[in-house]
Amino acid sequence: MKFKVPIFDVKKLNFIVRGQKILSDISFEIFEGEYIAIIGPNGGGKTTLIRMLLGLEQPTSGEIKIFGKKLKNFKEWYKIGYVPQRATLVDENFPATVEDIVRMGRIAKRGIFAGISSEDKAMVEDAMIKMDILNLKDKMVGTLSGGQRQRVMIARALASSPKILILDEPNTGVDMVSQQRFYALLAELNKEENITILFITHDVGVIADDIGRLFTINQKVTICHDPKKMLSCEEVSDLYGIDAHALYNHKHEH
Amino acid sequence: MFEMFDYDFMQRAFVTGLFIAVLASISGNFVVLRRYSLMSETLAHSALVGVAVGLVAGYNPLWVAVIVAIGAAWLIEYLRSAFSLYSDAILAIILSGSLAIAVIIVSLGGAFNNSLFSYLFGSILSVTNEDVVTIVIVGSLSLVFLLLFSKELYFIAYDEEVAKTSGIKVKFLNFLLVTVVAIIIALSIRVVGSLLIGALMVIPTVAALQYRVGFRNTMLISLFFALFSVIFGMSLSYYYSLPSGATIVLSIIVIFIISLIINKK
Repeated sequence: MKFKVPIFDVKKLNFIVRGQKILSDISFEIFEGEYIAIIGPNGGGKTTLIRMLLGLEQPTSGEIKIFGKKLKNFKEWYKIGYVPQRATLVDENFPATVEDIVRMGRIAKRGIFAGISSEDKAMVEDAMIKMDILNLKDKMVGTLSGGQRQRVMIARALASSPKILILDEPNTGVDMVSQQRFYALLAELNKEENITILFITHDVGVIADDIGRLFTINQKVTICHDPKKMLSCEEVSDLYGIDAHALYNHKHEH
Repeated sequence: MFEMFDYDFMQRAFVTGLFIAVLASISGNFVVLRRYSLMSETLAHSALVGVAVGLVAGYNPLWVAVIVAIGAAWLIEYLRSAFSLYSDAILAIILSGSLAIAVIIVSLGGAFNNSLFSYLFGSILSVTNEDVVTIVIVGSLSLVFLLLFSKELYFIAYDEEVAKTSGIKVKFLNFLLVTVVAIIIALSIRVVGSLLIGALMVIPTVAALQYRVGFRNTMLISLFFALFSVIFGMSLSYYYSLPSGATIVLSIIVIFIISLIINKK
């Protein structure tokens, strides 16, 4: 596949906090239509890297370009859908219906002074249909299960018609069945909607068939273009610093 | 019951009281959801410094209170972002410090009298025509801001970081929100009193949250509760010669308790 301007172009990124190196000399590009999984040990810098890509943390040195623009000049944030780690940990008392949350996804797209247009309403409904939560639209988010909340958060991110979805292990409180459904949804969004996916996960073995590249991050980044091969090699053990091995689920062979 | 409206001072008190109910309850939704409840209390005490300066120096206490409350709001935001201090500790320091400064200024200026008492607990007798005009004009501008940015402020209250990554100017809007809250608090102390305005801002929202409905309905319920408690509280204040702030706050607390019982899981 031929790609043009990368969505993210990261060059020589370093991040040092109180003398401790968190990320060292990170460089990579992410192109439209890719499905990339990020793995690495806790404290290895995965979330920090994502936060830098989103402008939530400033690198000590290095450069990040988004859609060809320097991060500080980038304004079209609606092109990026972000689902953080704590997405499923909803404050049960927060006054929000499912529709209230999904509508938030349209705010950046429509600008401050514009009201909710019929296009906004259509996009919100479309996102809820895609995530199969339209029947829950009037339910309070605090009353939903972990799996349902996960889909609400993806719907919010999808409502702005993003080019890329960035997900930081939004799995807390989600059961195994919902988790499998979630992975299938991500693969579908990538294949059918051509949405680029950047996904921090520990379950990389389960999605190995779907992903195109695997980033392993432990202060430095190692990029693997053949995730299935990568998962069977010793690099995983090296990465986690123990005698670890990834379980690869050959789901397409059954 | 309606003979109380034969008096000009009651008409003024009701116009300002109802306006303050709208301002306090709508801003209160964001204050509570942003976990800024103690901030409203702190800013109310800071506004008292402005009242003290106004009383002693002979300026309109309302305007000086607005200026000092805005200054205190900015100081709190600055301290929270510049020094990683405990937020509630910062609020406690500024709250007690403000009260101490206000008391010393008033004592030195010899103005520790009924006038200050009315600013502490609210008085329907103290609202002047000038106050009505100031509260309606400045309050309307504050209300326009809140309504214009309500969706953004709601998003920030839900998840500040995700709002930031959606391109929302979180820092700027946080700064504007605390400014508007400071203005609303300073405007409200004539009727509700500086020691009690925090309650009118926070309790209607907390009562409305018990009904577990969406944001729009929560805001409408809190608005209704605030309006009801102001009407009921000011009527009690008139008939029993009680401080209006106290009667308003007790009315809203009763509503809160009823809401809690009705919606008990």
